[in-house]
Amino acid sequence: MDRRDFLKIMGSGFASIAGADLLIPKRPLASTPGTEFYGILVDTTRCIGCRRCELGCAEVNGLPLPDISESTNQTVLKTPRKTTDRQYTIINKYETSEGPIYVPKRCMHCNQPGCVAACPVKAMRKREQGHVTWDVNCIGCRLCMISCPFDIPKHEYSKAFPRIQKCNLCWDRFNQGQLPGCVEVCPTQALMFGTRRQILEEGKRRIAANPGKYVDHIYGEYEVGGTSHLYLSAVPFEQIGFRNDLGTVPYPEYSTGFLYAVPFIFVLWPIAMLGMNRGTKKENGEEKEEHHGEETDKGKH
Amino acid sequence: MNELFTYHDMFSSKGPEYIIIIIFLIIIIGFWAFVNMNAKR
Amino acid sequence: MAGEKLETVAVAAEKAESPKIKSFGDFIDFLKKELKPEGSIATPFNIISLPIMLLGYVFIVLRLASGLGKPITNLSQQYPWGLWIGFDVVTGVAFAGGAYVLCFIVYILRAEKYHPIIRATVLNGFLAYLFYAGAIVLDIGRWWNIYNPMVGNNFGVNAVMFLVAWHFFLYMLAELVEFSPAIAEWLGARKARKILGAMTLGAVIFGITLSTLHQSGLGALMMMAKSKIHPLWYTEFIPILYFVSSIFAGLSLVIFEGSISHKVFAYQLDEHHKEQYNDILVGLSRICAVVMFGYFFLKILLVVHGHAVKYINTPMGYWWLLEMIGFVLVPCFAFLRGAQREDTALIKFAAIITMIGIILNRLNYTFIAYNWYVPLSEKYWPTPIELTVTASIILTEIWVFRWMVRRMPVLREPPAWAKAMGHD
Repeated sequence: MDRRDFLKIMGSGFASIAGADLLIPKRPLASTPGTEFYGILVDTTRCIGCRRCELGCAEVNGLPLPDISESTNQTVLKTPRKTTDRQYTIINKYETSEGPIYVPKRCMHCNQPGCVAACPVKAMRKREQGHVTWDVNCIGCRLCMISCPFDIPKHEYSKAFPRIQKCNLCWDRFNQGQLPGCVEVCPTQALMFGTRRQILEEGKRRIAANPGKYVDHIYGEYEVGGTSHLYLSAVPFEQIGFRNDLGTVPYPEYSTGFLYAVPFIFVLWPIAMLGMNRGTKKENGEEKEEHHGEETDKGKH
Repeated sequence: MNELFTYHDMFSSKGPEYIIIIIFLIIIIGFWAFVNMNAKR
Repeated sequence: MAGEKLETVAVAAEKAESPKIKSFGDFIDFLKKELKPEGSIATPFNIISLPIMLLGYVFIVLRLASGLGKPITNLSQQYPWGLWIGFDVVTGVAFAGGAYVLCFIVYILRAEKYHPIIRATVLNGFLAYLFYAGAIVLDIGRWWNIYNPMVGNNFGVNAVMFLVAWHFFLYMLAELVEFSPAIAEWLGARKARKILGAMTLGAVIFGITLSTLHQSGLGALMMMAKSKIHPLWYTEFIPILYFVSSIFAGLSLVIFEGSISHKVFAYQLDEHHKEQYNDILVGLSRICAVVMFGYFFLKILLVVHGHAVKYINTPMGYWWLLEMIGFVLVPCFAFLRGAQREDTALIKFAAIITMIGIILNRLNYTFIAYNWYVPLSEKYWPTPIELTVTASIILTEIWVFRWMVRRMPVLREPPAWAKAMGHD
C-alpha cells in the first residue's frame, strides 16, 4: 500500500471512532435552558440503497415490514417514491452525473416547522430536543399537510379513525436513550445521529476533508430556516430529488404577517365603526335611535 | 444565531394578546355607554 | 315554483298577530303547527331536492363510518383539501359575506335604502355559517375532536386555523343575535325583542370585525403553501384578496338569492318594498362594480410585485386570464352597465358570472392552482358522492331558509308592536 492509501485508512479510522462517539446520544438534558436540537446527518455518498433503514423503522414503529430483498429492491427503486401513511422513511434511487445515488427521504424536523405553526390544536409539536411529533388531540384538518414544503405528513384516508403519520425521530426511543431505528441498522453509517451542532460540524468537516467528493453545500443548513435532517451529496441537490426553490425563510414566518395584524384589526375596527356610527347619528329628536346605539352585549355568550 | 440550534416559539405572545383583546372588547361596552352619556335626554 | 303562492291576505294578517305562548306546552303546540307544511308538498323543487338530500344523508353516514378515502372522496396525500373544504366551507363563507357588508352599510353607514333586505341577508349568512362552516365536522378526519380548539386541547394560538375556527363559532353567535329579533317577533316575545334589538349594534360591530378577520383568515391558511401554489395566485397579500373579494362575492349572492326569494315570496312584500327593490339592486350593483374594479387592479399590482408577469403566457397563465378577465372584469362592467340602465336582468347575469368567478378563485387556491404541476393522472376531481353531499347540504339549507321566511317576519313587515320599538 502507498502512503496515500495508508493515510486514507488512518483518516477514515479516526473519523469512524469520532463518528461512533457521535452515534450514541448523550443522555437528554431535562429542560435546561438552551437544550439543543438533535438531528441526523445523511451522507448520500455512503448510502448503498439496501433499505435496511426502511425495515428498521417499520420494526420499531409497528408498521408493515417492507420486503428488502435484492430482487425486490431492484424493482422498487426504479421510480422515486414518497413516504406514505405506512412508511415513515423510504430510499429513492437517482441516476446522476456521478452514477446512481441513493437518498433516504423522511421528515426533515425543521427548526421552525410549518406543520407546527399550522396546527390549531398543537397536535404537531416541536420538542425542545428537535423532534417534531404528532399527538392524538389532532382534529384531522390536514393543514399540516398543506403547510409542509417537503410534503411529509400523511393522512390515513382508508381509516374511519385516521391519524397523521410521519417520522418522529423516534421520540419514544430517544427518551429511553436509544438511537432512532433507522440509524441503528444502517450498515454504512450513512446516517449519523447527534446534536444539530455536532452533525453540522461533522458535515462541514467531511466536505473540507474531501473537496472533490462532496458538493459544498449541506442541504438543510439554512433551507426553510434550517432543518435537523442535514444532507451531504456528491451532486447538485436538484439531481437527487431536492427542491432548490424553498428559500431560507422559516415557513411559520409566512403566516406571521396576518397573525400579527389580527390584534390591530380587533382594536381598530370596533373603534372605527363606533366612531362612524356615532358620527352619522342625527343629534336632534332621535331619542329612540340613541337608545339603540348603546350596546349591552356583543352576543359573545 | 442560537435559533439554529434551539427552539424559540415565535407565537408565545399570541395567548396574552388574545386575552388583552377580549378584555378590550368587554371594556369597550362600558366605554361606549360613557361616550353616549352627554346625549340630550 | 308555482306551488309557493299560498298565503291569502287573511292568513298574512293573522300571522301579524303574536301567538299566545304562556307555557312550554303552548310552545310545543305552536312549534308543531309551524312545522306543518304549508300548501302543496309535491312541488317540482321538492320532488327534485328531497331525494338528493336523503341520498346525501346516507352518504354522510357512510363517510363517518368508513373515513375520507375512496370512493367517498378523491382526496389524496397531494390534495388534502377538495370540494368539501374548498367549495362548501371556503367558497360558502365568501358568499355569506353579504351579511357583514350589508350590516356595515345599514347599521354603521346608516344607508336606510338597503334596510328591507337586511333580515333575509343576515338569515342567509347565519344559515350559511351553520351549514357550510358547520359541515367542517364532515371535512376533518378526526371529527370527534372538533371541540378541541374551543376547549383548550390545545389552544393553538400559533395557528391561523385556530383563529378561523373561533371566529366561525363567535360569528354564528353574533349573527344569531342579529337575527334573533325576528325570532322574538315570531314567538310574540315582546320583552326579548326589546332586549335583543338593543344588542344589534354590538353584534353587528363584533360581526363585521370577525368577518374581516376570518374572510382574510381563510386566505391566510394558504400562506405556507408558497411552494405549491402557482405564482400568479400566490402572494403575501392573499388575505387581503380574500377579504376584498368576499365583499362582491357576498353582494352577488345577495343579488342572486334575492332575485329568487323576491319572486317566490312576492306575496309577503308590500308595495313600498317592491318599489325599493329595484333601487337596492342598482345600488348593490354599483358597489360590486367599484370593488371589483379595485380588486382587478390589486391583482395586477400583486402579479407585477411578485415578478410573475412572465407566467401569463403559459397554460396556467391563460387560466388566470380567464378568471381575471372573464369572471372579474367582464361582470364588473356588466354591473356598471346594469346599474346605469337599471337593467335588473343584466345585474343578475353579472351576479351569476361573479359567483362563478369566486368559485373558480377559491378552488384554484384549494386544488387547481395548488399543486398545479402534479401530473394529470394524479390530480384531484370530486367524486359523485362528494358532489351529492355538497348538493344535499345546500338544499337542506334552502329548505330551512324557506321554512323560516314563510313563518317569521324576514321579508314581510314585522308586527306593529315590534315596529313601535324602533330600529330593527
